[in-house]
Amino acid sequence: MMAAATSTYIAGVRLRSIAGIWYRHALVLRRNLLTSISWYFVEPFVILVAIGIGVGTLVDDVQGVPYARFITPGVIVGSAMFHAVFECAWGGFMRIQKGVYETTLTAPVSTREVAMGDICWTMTRTVVTAVCIGTVAAAFGWIDNVSGVGVLLPAALVGMQFGALGLIFAALSPNVHILSLTFTVVASPLYFLSGAFFPISSMPDWVEPLAWAAPLTPSVHLARGFVTGDLAMSHLFAGLYVVAWIIVLFPIAATLMHRRLVK
Amino acid sequence: MKTTSDDSVIRATDLTKRFGEIVAVDGVSFQVKKGETYGLLGPNGAGKTTTMRMISGLSPLTAGKLTVADIDVTSQAREVRNVLGVVTQEDGLDTDLDAKSNLIVYGYTAGLSHAEAEKRADAVLMFFDLTDKAHEEIDYLSGGMKRRLAIARAFMTSPRVIVLDEPTTGLDPQGRNRVWQELETMKQGGVTILMSTHYMDEAAALCDRLAIMHHGRILAEGTPDELVTRHAGSEVAQVRVSNGARRDVVDWIGNAGFDFRDAGAVITVTSRNGARPDLTGLAGVRVSYRPSNLEDVFLTMAGRGLTDDE
Repeated sequence: MMAAATSTYIAGVRLRSIAGIWYRHALVLRRNLLTSISWYFVEPFVILVAIGIGVGTLVDDVQGVPYARFITPGVIVGSAMFHAVFECAWGGFMRIQKGVYETTLTAPVSTREVAMGDICWTMTRTVVTAVCIGTVAAAFGWIDNVSGVGVLLPAALVGMQFGALGLIFAALSPNVHILSLTFTVVASPLYFLSGAFFPISSMPDWVEPLAWAAPLTPSVHLARGFVTGDLAMSHLFAGLYVVAWIIVLFPIAATLMHRRLVK
Repeated sequence: MKTTSDDSVIRATDLTKRFGEIVAVDGVSFQVKKGETYGLLGPNGAGKTTTMRMISGLSPLTAGKLTVADIDVTSQAREVRNVLGVVTQEDGLDTDLDAKSNLIVYGYTAGLSHAEAEKRADAVLMFFDLTDKAHEEIDYLSGGMKRRLAIARAFMTSPRVIVLDEPTTGLDPQGRNRVWQELETMKQGGVTILMSTHYMDEAAALCDRLAIMHHGRILAEGTPDELVTRHAGSEVAQVRVSNGARRDVVDWIGNAGFDFRDAGAVITVTSRNGARPDLTGLAGVRVSYRPSNLEDVFLTMAGRGLTDDE
């Protein structure tokens, strides 16, 4: 058959499945480009400027840098997290409800490839948002060295990590009310626990280890390393820690999606 | 694809599906021949959708053997979907994309190149008379148009076999006629169609052969005419009765050994031996006769109507 002939497989994964899902998401973005700009640009820009400059006038330098500059890496990584959760938890839930995944599965696509396709796209999306905010921050001079480009790495990692987590929530949630906990109970607290807005060392002693273990924190640490150009072994460990999260979360996401979609 | 010894495209043998304690499909066997339109007729909950999902490789079999175009569905669920076009019960249209993009994304995901998908989408939109809706928002399409778009999507890869779960449920008569018309055209183009329905007129109009399903089993199989002649006789009686006399009339009909269905104002009576039911002994009612149909077959076999609540 015509359809079978073009398929390439790597380790049992049909590449066209992932490309097709990625292409779908890219078309949706292109179709909603103007409204998407608010997501990719306006919202993080407002946070960066309002908090960075606004709050920045009230506080002294943090860890030797102006406040706006201090929060830049955290805002980039935090926005990446919200994009990932929105795409995979909210978007994923909608695609379950509307039968979009079911339709995808009527093509020769596996549930694992559905999860991979969504996560690949989410990674693209988080990198794009990091480029958008990074450009704004660079224009303000809050990122001023070449190693700042490295923030794209934690942004991509967060895309995969929270993309997988988002799919887990989408697959488990019976309704949108429970799904909304992904934002209120998971994403928002993690954002403030991540050290994006204040150093973890300023948190109460008992919170500190929790904050370091929280899934977003290492990515903020890594992003900050790239932005300041001050990279140490701790940044390597932070990156590996996030990779470990992805390795653990992905199979769970794929399994739960399979259970939800194939009965 | 291997050549087949006979001309069966779908071969299901003792197909069984259990969900925990519930047996949704209970040892169903049938074959669909190349080029024919085969229907699964039965009420909601009869196991039609589960059967079709198993055939589409979307629901693993609990037991049984199933091949589609000589591909074993149990071991090669994905490969089956290379040769099938599947239209699920819900249209499953992507409301984040316009009509044409829905087709292109599906075609590309199924394995067409971008250029092929684009070209094929235009052709399919034209065939289904949806060309002027190509860039319409999905939510602005009528129910009938959405259904036709969902069927059109299954045709993106030019499948020779199409699995259609309830093609016209929820459509208005006009939308329904359009879908029927298009299915007829496909059929004439040599496409093998497996469809499910709970409308007896739809089954009679479209299917070359059909299986009547109830509680996960096939009660009878044959051409629509055969089934009617064999199981419901040539004519059924329709008895109009006042509310006061209903009880006595129903008792009389039951005692006389007829099958009947009480649908409020009218009681439909079928005889088991194929003859016209003789109700001459029944007084105080108005009796008329009409030709039997598939609904009557189902009534005779299952003791209830296709659309009755259980």
